[in-house]
Amino acid sequence: MSTPTRKVVIVPCSGIGKTYGTVSREAAYEIVENLRSAKTQLVALSWLVLGDEAARAAVADCPAVTLDGCKLACATKMVKESGGTVAQDFAVLDVYRRYRQFKPQGIAELNEGGQKLAHALAEEVATVVDNLTAEHAQGVEKNPSISTNSAVSTVNGAQGGGDA
Amino acid sequence: MPEFLETRVDKFTFKVAADRYYSSEGVWASPLPQGEGRGVRVRIGVSDFLQQRSGDVAFAEVKPEGTVLAAGDEVAVIETIKVNISLTAPVSGKIVEVNQAIATAPEAINKDPYGEGWLAVIEPGDWETDRARLLDAQAYFTLMKRQAEEESNKR
Repeated sequence: MSTPTRKVVIVPCSGIGKTYGTVSREAAYEIVENLRSAKTQLVALSWLVLGDEAARAAVADCPAVTLDGCKLACATKMVKESGGTVAQDFAVLDVYRRYRQFKPQGIAELNEGGQKLAHALAEEVATVVDNLTAEHAQGVEKNPSISTNSAVSTVNGAQGGGDA
Repeated sequence: MPEFLETRVDKFTFKVAADRYYSSEGVWASPLPQGEGRGVRVRIGVSDFLQQRSGDVAFAEVKPEGTVLAAGDEVAVIETIKVNISLTAPVSGKIVEVNQAIATAPEAINKDPYGEGWLAVIEPGDWETDRARLLDAQAYFTLMKRQAEEESNKR
């Protein structure tokens, strides 16, 4: 019997017109669509702001990794205000300080540096996701009564979120 | 703790420390208490308005200790999420101390521009002459407020 997995929620910045916000979203897409598609689900910050029930349920049931574009840290704040637990928060500026060679520019379309920075951020988040899912799997093995989240949908669609 | 002159423009509040001098670009100069056997030393940094207008600082690089500068020479470069800014020295003289902390924690420039976010200490060649060219806090406050209002009107 395989160990059930609980998906990690990824919540990026929703700041439109900001380069660092774009980096956070590109990183989120890469994680959810490519790097760790089986282990993660995307929750749009705007759904949390609106109080969408599916989005709130997703962050309430699963650990969240937030990707903030600026020091206002809206993603982190909204996950907490929505009853969720932020397992790890990333600020794009801090990530850039670690990868100075990847200077991001552009908004609708990132330059090469921005794309590489988004990839670097995505790789860091993927490591966190692996750790979170491994911890959860160990917990389930020790205590099978731990509930597992069945949310599998990406909670960013026009239908008011997924089926969490 | 210095006292501040304060104004609000649009949704932003800007503070000007009342106990120091300023260049028109927003670099402050604050004379330190004189120690025995040495002359005047001046600590420099950026104003609250300059740091807010520039955005979150990603990197700050100050010229090394021992560098001799004329007033107006580049003393530091800060890279923010918006721009790269070349900051010019408000006084002539030799850099005798650099705030090493901002190399690893440049966010101090945003969080505490008049305190922990200072850039360097300069031993001026002629402080009295330099001081006469700088703006006092009230004059800089007036200039800064006008600049802030002009920026606000552009948006």
